[in-house]
This record gives sequence, C-alpha cells and structure tokens, in this order.
Amino acid sequence: MSMARKKTVKMAALYAVATCLLLIMITPYLYMLLQSLAPWHEVDRVFLPSSLNTRSYRWLLAGGAEALPRPWLKSLGNSALVTTVVTISRVILGAFVGYALAVLSFRGRRVVQNFILFHMFYPGIILLVPTFLLIRAMGLYNTYLAMILPGLVSTWAIFMYVNFFRSVPKEVVEAARMDGAGELRIIFQIMIPIARPVTAIVFLFLFMERWVELLWDLIVVRDPTKQTLNVLLTTMFGPYGGYPGPLYAAGVLLTFPIIFLFLLFSRRFVQGVSLVIST
Amino acid sequence: MRLQGEARGWLLASPYIVSAILFFLFPLGWSLSLILFDWNLISPVRTYVGLGNFREAFTSARVFQAFFNTYKFMAIIVPAVLVLSLVLALIVHHLPRLKQFYAVGFFLPYLASGVAVSLVVRGILSYDSAFNELLRSLFGTSPRWLRDPFWATLVISAMIVWKLSGYYALIFLAGLQGIPRELYEAAALDGAGSFTQFRKITLPLLYPAFYTVLVLAIGLCFGIFTEPYVLTGGGPRFATHTWQLEIYYQAFERFRAGYGATVAVLNALATFVSILIIRRVVEAWGARRGFR
Repeated sequence: MSMARKKTVKMAALYAVATCLLLIMITPYLYMLLQSLAPWHEVDRVFLPSSLNTRSYRWLLAGGAEALPRPWLKSLGNSALVTTVVTISRVILGAFVGYALAVLSFRGRRVVQNFILFHMFYPGIILLVPTFLLIRAMGLYNTYLAMILPGLVSTWAIFMYVNFFRSVPKEVVEAARMDGAGELRIIFQIMIPIARPVTAIVFLFLFMERWVELLWDLIVVRDPTKQTLNVLLTTMFGPYGGYPGPLYAAGVLLTFPIIFLFLLFSRRFVQGVSLVIST
Repeated sequence: MRLQGEARGWLLASPYIVSAILFFLFPLGWSLSLILFDWNLISPVRTYVGLGNFREAFTSARVFQAFFNTYKFMAIIVPAVLVLSLVLALIVHHLPRLKQFYAVGFFLPYLASGVAVSLVVRGILSYDSAFNELLRSLFGTSPRWLRDPFWATLVISAMIVWKLSGYYALIFLAGLQGIPRELYEAAALDGAGSFTQFRKITLPLLYPAFYTVLVLAIGLCFGIFTEPYVLTGGGPRFATHTWQLEIYYQAFERFRAGYGATVAVLNALATFVSILIIRRVVEAWGARRGFR
C-alpha cells in the first residue's frame, strides 16, 4: 500500500471512530426524543418506535392526567424567567463590578478583590441551610425571588471580567473620558462590546448552570405553580410512573431549548472556552 | 450627575458588596451558630448542644457511608473521565477537518440536566425495557441495575463520566494545541515511532491539563446530588448515598437545621483536606518526573 493510501485509510478509520463516539454521546438525547414521540405502548419497550406521534406532548401541555394535573407549560416559563433574570443580572453586574475593580482605583479595592477570591473558593454547601433560613425569614419562601435574589451576583463572572478588563489598554478608557463619557457610557459602549468573547462564555456557562439547578430550587419552592421545570420533573418521577411518554416529553422540553441556545453560540463558545480554562 | 474618585468605584462595586454581605457573610455567621444547636426549623426552642452535633455526625453510619462513597465514586469516575476525555481530545486533535463540529458534539452531554438524563437511564434500565429484553435474550438474565449496590454505583458513575468527558476534553484539546509541532518532527527524525512520541512528548506536556482536569473532577465527586437523589435516593443499602443527600435529608426532610449545617461543615472539610492531599501527591509526583 502506498503512503498516501495508508494515510487515507487511517483518516477514514479516525472519522469512523469519532462518529461512533459522537453517536454514543448523544444517544440519551436521541432516546429521549424518540421515546417522547413513540406510541404509548412502545415507550421503553422498543429502541426505534414503529411510528411517531405527538400524543405525549399534547397530553403534557394540556396539563397532564386529570387525576394528576400539573402546570407543565407554566413551569417551563418559570425556568425561562428565573434563568434569564439571574443570568442577565450576573453578566451585567459582573461587568460593573469587574470594571470597578480592574479599571477604577479607589481605596479598599484590593480588600474587595481578595475578599472575592475567598468568597469564590469558600464551599457553598456550608451556606445552604443558613441561606434557606434567611430566605424564609425574609418571607420569600415559595416565591420567585427566593430562586432569583441569592444568585444575582456571580463571583466567577466578576473574576472573568476583572481578568479581561485588566488587559484593556488604559488609553482606551482615558480617551473616552477626555471625550466626556461617563462611567456607564464607557461600560456599555466600550467595555462590554470589546469583552464580547468573555460575555458569550460567561453567559453560556451561567445560563446552563442555572437552568439545571436542582437542590436550591427544590428547597425554597414547594408550590408547583412556581417550580422550575427541572424541579417539577424531579417530583413527578413517581406520580407519573405510569406515563413515561409524557415524562420524556417534559425531558425534551427541559433539554432541547438549552441545546439550541448552545448550538446557536457554539462558534463563540469554542473560541472562548480557552478563556475559562486558562484561569 | 458626575461622581468623583472614590465614590464611583464603591458605587459600581456595590452590587457585589451588598450581595456578599446579605448572602455570604450573614449566612456564614449564622452557620457558625447553627452548628452548636439542635433545632427543628420551626420551634422557637433551640437547644444548645455544644459539639454534640459533631459527636453525632462522627459516629453516624449514614455520614460514614457518604464519606466513604465519595472516594468510591472518585475511584471510578476520576480514572474513567481522565481516559475518556483524553481519548476524545486526541481524536478531535487529529481530525484534519470538522474539529469544531466534533468538539461541540462531544460537549453536548454537559448541557444535560441530571434529572432528564436520570429519566432516560431509569427508562432504559426498567425491568421490561427493550435493553433488558435484549440482555435476557443474549445472556438469559439481566442485572437488577438500580436495585443492586454494585450496578447502581456503576450506573451513577457512568452518568457523571458521560456528562463531563466532553467538557474536560476541551481542556486536554487546548493542551494538545499548545504542544509545538517541531517537537514531534524532531522526534520523528530521531526515529521515534508514534507511540514513543505520545509517551515521551504528548503525555508529559499535557501534565498541566491533566492536573486541571484531575482537580476539577475530584472536586465534583464531593458534590454529587441530582443523579442519586432522583434515581436511587442513596440506596440500595446506602451504596449511592452522598454528602449532599445526607445534608438535604437531615436539614430539609427531618428538619434538623443544626445537624444538617454540621454535616455540611464536615463535607466542606473533607473536600478541602482531600483535595489538598491529592494535589500535594500529584504535584510531588509531577515534580519528580520533571513535569511542570
């Protein structure tokens, strides 16, 4: 065999292995999707359904069984609301604080910086019970605010922005100030646009993380009309045991929006992920 | 309004400061007092127990199981995730085209909610599933999966490995891309085969990436919650019980706030000490081998 030929065969084998692994990695997603569209008597009983229909989705979105009604569509909205508000706040406040710490000089700046590092590496699990007690004492148990308020600021987001803004030449900010721009204008019109790679990666990671949060949301909200889809699905494993098809449909509603969002930004993600890794 | 000097900085940093006081410092202080009391979350009466919570936790079989299981999970998850993510990274690295397509595809599991994946796993492993039917037609029998301590541990470990590998592969990939090509060319001129090149160049130079992945994966093993909570409830016979399950159970099912907070402190201590020791060992090993 010639060298070129040998190389072609090698490459073909590599692509074959890569494709097989890729298929294995996405099998759970495909399984979930197929089973959510399968006729009910075939769910989990066959790998590939004989036909596809939307019965599980119609049943789920109509609110579930008459005996066990649950606000599935509302919970999807709850997830979207909580995740969006928290993530946007974390990004914007992260940029604000990051800008203050990286660009402005004020007394106590170093103290705040060091404190953020301590905060970042302090094990959050210790705070779980007292934070719950605090939320309850504030009268926020069973409210959206309970899921939103404690997460409005992310130390990791601040950390990422501080690192990035430090690399921005001082002249950029000084020139803008000479033109009479205020701090907010500098942040929104100069700093945030040049920090786009950081923003993309921070937004994606924080959005993904918040979307699948379980423990905290499970503790602070017991009212099904306010629960996120992730929590509602968790609580319905048992009660909906006889309805696996609709549960898969709920799984798809929980999983596929985030996949679409990610694929939409995947180019930026791959470019930006080195920023996360390097820190 | 134009703010001058000091005030601008403090004002822009204030969202963090307010949030840190309210949701970090305050609960931090509260946790220190909680651990000294026996309190059921509701009653106005709190009994001061001193170090009683710690005494109870140290002799608790449940806490010991959580402690022990963490290292059991670690022994399975860490080697598996290191190998799989390295393999994925090597594959992507050697593909001449479509690198990004495969890298993104391998990353997709990281997006999954543990709840949704648990749903799939429960379905695939249910007794009369197509998968178990297939096993029975091949081997005449199928494992009891989540009802068997051995298999339940393995299934939950596999779910976590599946989720993390594509993410950690990106870390290895960045490491691989940082290795200068000339090193391989020079080695090839000296007659080193591709396996020798891998062993003598690739692996040593991937040490920083390896170290990062190792520390991340170990840290994660101390925070396992979703998968066992949804699938096994920590069973069977506490085989998949974890720290976070124990904290959740004590504080929010049995409403023992003080004891739950105490277990959380022990969890944090175990995490901190374990990671410190493992890091020291790996660093010493790396230094002896001359890695950075």
